[in-house]
Amino acid sequence: MTRTFFGSSGLIALLLFGIVFGNQIVESSATPMRLHNPMLLIDIADTNTVLLPNRSPLVSFRILFMTGSAFDPKGKEGVASLTAAMLAEGGSRLKTFAEITDAMYPMATSFQSQVDKEMTVFSGTTHIDNLDKYYSLIREMLLDPGFREDDFKRLKEEAINYLKNSLRGGNDEELGKEVLYTMIYPATHPYGHQNGGAVGALERMTLKDVRDFYQANYTQANLVIGLAGGYPEGFPKTLEADFTKLPKGKPTAAKFAFPRQTLGTKIEIVQRETRSSAISLGFPITVTRADKDWPALTIVASYFGQHRSSNSYLYQRLREARGLNYGDYAYIEYFPRGMFQFQPDPNLGRRQQIFQIWIRPVESQNGHFTLRAALFEYDKLVRDGMSKEAFESTREFLTKYANVLIATQDAQLGYALDSRYYHIPDFPTYMREQLAKLTLDDVNRVIKQYLKSDSMRIAIVTKDASGLRDAIINNKPSPITYNAPKPKEILDEDKIIEGYRINVKTGDVMIVPVDRVFE
Amino acid sequence: MIKLLIIALLIFCLSMLTLAQKSRKAFAYDYAIDDLPNGLRLVTVPTDYPNLVALYIVVQTGSRNEPEKGKSGYAHLFEHLMFRGSEHYTGQERDEVLKKAGADSNAYTTDDRTVYHEVFSNEDLDKILELEADRFQHLKYSPDGYKTETKAVLGEFNKNSANPEEKLFEVLRATAYQRHTYSHTTMGFIEDIEDMPNQYEYSWQFYNRYYRPEYTTIVLVGDVKRDDALAMTKKYFGAWKRGNYVPEIPKETEQIGPRENHVDWPSETLPLIYMSFRGPAYSDYNKDKAALDLLAPLAFGENSDLYQKLVLQEQKVEELSYSFDDHVDPELFYVSAKVKDLKDIDYVRQQILDTYKRFSSEVVPQAKLDFTRSRLRYEFALLMNSSEAIASSLANYIGLRRTPLTIDKLFALYDTITPNDIRGTAHRYFVDNHRTIVTLNTKKEVAK
Repeated sequence: MTRTFFGSSGLIALLLFGIVFGNQIVESSATPMRLHNPMLLIDIADTNTVLLPNRSPLVSFRILFMTGSAFDPKGKEGVASLTAAMLAEGGSRLKTFAEITDAMYPMATSFQSQVDKEMTVFSGTTHIDNLDKYYSLIREMLLDPGFREDDFKRLKEEAINYLKNSLRGGNDEELGKEVLYTMIYPATHPYGHQNGGAVGALERMTLKDVRDFYQANYTQANLVIGLAGGYPEGFPKTLEADFTKLPKGKPTAAKFAFPRQTLGTKIEIVQRETRSSAISLGFPITVTRADKDWPALTIVASYFGQHRSSNSYLYQRLREARGLNYGDYAYIEYFPRGMFQFQPDPNLGRRQQIFQIWIRPVESQNGHFTLRAALFEYDKLVRDGMSKEAFESTREFLTKYANVLIATQDAQLGYALDSRYYHIPDFPTYMREQLAKLTLDDVNRVIKQYLKSDSMRIAIVTKDASGLRDAIINNKPSPITYNAPKPKEILDEDKIIEGYRINVKTGDVMIVPVDRVFE
Repeated sequence: MIKLLIIALLIFCLSMLTLAQKSRKAFAYDYAIDDLPNGLRLVTVPTDYPNLVALYIVVQTGSRNEPEKGKSGYAHLFEHLMFRGSEHYTGQERDEVLKKAGADSNAYTTDDRTVYHEVFSNEDLDKILELEADRFQHLKYSPDGYKTETKAVLGEFNKNSANPEEKLFEVLRATAYQRHTYSHTTMGFIEDIEDMPNQYEYSWQFYNRYYRPEYTTIVLVGDVKRDDALAMTKKYFGAWKRGNYVPEIPKETEQIGPRENHVDWPSETLPLIYMSFRGPAYSDYNKDKAALDLLAPLAFGENSDLYQKLVLQEQKVEELSYSFDDHVDPELFYVSAKVKDLKDIDYVRQQILDTYKRFSSEVVPQAKLDFTRSRLRYEFALLMNSSEAIASSLANYIGLRRTPLTIDKLFALYDTITPNDIRGTAHRYFVDNHRTIVTLNTKKEVAK
């Protein structure tokens, strides 16, 4: 069966759309015939404008460049982030940053950058009253940057302080998650350093490095323009014409070998003065949103540990039944800043992802027990798979939840850009259609196929690193006590967990003082 | 350049016109308010965003409502306990219903309110209201379940405690307030959190006082009709019994001299300084709060002279910001700075103090004031980008006045403020005797 990109209900949308935007539909109907094909999905990688017109009084921009920290040259780790910061938080050639801030002030607008491994996105929303003024500012910022020394000095210091102080000294959870990534991706891999860079490389970085990165990466070949909202009809053409000012360039290229892990568990304990212990664990997977098995694996991750939801299995076992911490979640896509938000930011597209379990800080005396409990539950998932009931309720949840993820036009635009990157149709349609086709067998097959326990990487942030290391390598029992009686079922399970074996060699449990991380 | 038009399935057919075209109303949506005889209020805001409904249940109880010694943090604890099950639904059954609805469900607590919120498909509204009515009227948790939840609250305190800014805010509150309940943060004092497991009986007392219809407003925003919403609300919440508890919140004593405090942080951090003065409570008719709302971005915002000097030109400060949220009772107006080098902290402190003084004596230019008014209006308009965002923005005002009308009153009040009002208000509030300054930096043994 051949399906169009728009799906069945898409036809209705198209009609509605025609009423509202009569002229533009003519333009669109000339191209979408290329969109036929259900599983190869849309071949739109050679297009570079994504438009979501509507009647909102707000206009949202997402200007995406297919570059990021994976393209930091060796020894220049952090230049992608610093370049984006120079554009979004520095002056243009004609205006100082102070003047730009002044101009933005009465409109209450801002312009943000987000840098990940392969994507750098600049985003902002303005009220339509101010569209021309706002656009002229961000156009100058992106196309005619000032690259001033004083902006550079300020933003470089900020980048160094982020790594040195904010991550190392003020957010154990994000620290643990980022350390996990550095354990999985070796320094030689394009993903092998924090998006913000490394302290040493940043300290040596010059303004010329930033200029060079801009010249090489901010090209038409790397550009995708995203626009949503009630903008006037000819506006996208203006944008497209303006952005031809960028050099044509060639798509950014780099090698992305799969990060093969040596067999066995490896643990890194970051030693830091802190009240509690933050734990992250995971391993690389070969599935991304572009893969046909992604929807099935999404069901698994959601069932096991839907982000910030009390509905997931791990949360129920660790927090609800035992009160060990604030929450416990699982992911198959990068989700930075998870402690601050309920939904992931879009435009963090990657061609390689990891499976990750995030255990929020636990009281330090329960750290060893909780790590064992997480591994115990994870092993159980891999061994037993999901039940029919769990499969069906999670599928139903995700089918509807897809709409929640794209509740704002900015999120819709972000997801549309990501769908373009992964060559899939628009997100809620894709999810609804793919989820509907899945069976319990599909889901249990992907568990067996992709979730492997034989090369687990574990990052822990805690105070008594040597005590924990000693307990782990000697597999010392870690009995737990509670402040209230627990059902027999929990206590029986605790007996198993307190001695649950973590097979790790002595040399594979490292202690790292916090001030050495991201150095 | 090849062009492609991708059409979202969820087409917005917003009836809302631009601010310029419509009235000067800041809250541009039509809404209905319905009061039940038991005191419960329903605010319905139909929007044209299709399929989804945002349900926000606002209880006018926060850490402000915790005047008893040793009993801080209970409003927030309740935000947790409300998820552990009720008479007709265990926590697990509740989760199953929400899961089937694809709901994004959570809650938060502030100084003044506790808010329970969900976003879900409109076809599930009836079921979810039934579920909510059950926990608001017939909450059920065992002593054991209670104790387990107190540990999750401790876990939340622990995760926050890794952040120096959370710590310094806690110390600012405890230093600036001596009698009023704003002296503790919403999390509560750590010793009270540690004692929570022993307070099962007290927790029920708290529930019976505040989880009452007269404290509660249901806000429904999205693909919803008022008549349906009202009928369902009556069906499920109509039998809820009104309470009669009115807390005695101690009035803060007059501060008669400047106060200071300091925190040594156990790991590397940039030095922090928070400088506060006592400010007024929220009001949509008294000019003081409105004048200071306008002053805050003018004096300390990103395009203020101070920000330009300290952050952009001299680059001695990495972050400079202000905080002056809407509160039921008089709240602190404070400025925070993350200083790059400890040796500059006294300089930065003096610069901030001078700015407070400057705005107490100089008149701001009319054009700048007009820009600021414009900024506040657009800031609010930019928030309204989904049904949930509208509900979420409303929750603040519902917690204060139980009606969206207060938003329009507030913005109308902004329009009346003159440069002289700002100077006069600053002059009255930014007085040395009402000042509290707290600082934090890496303790000596750790600092390199």
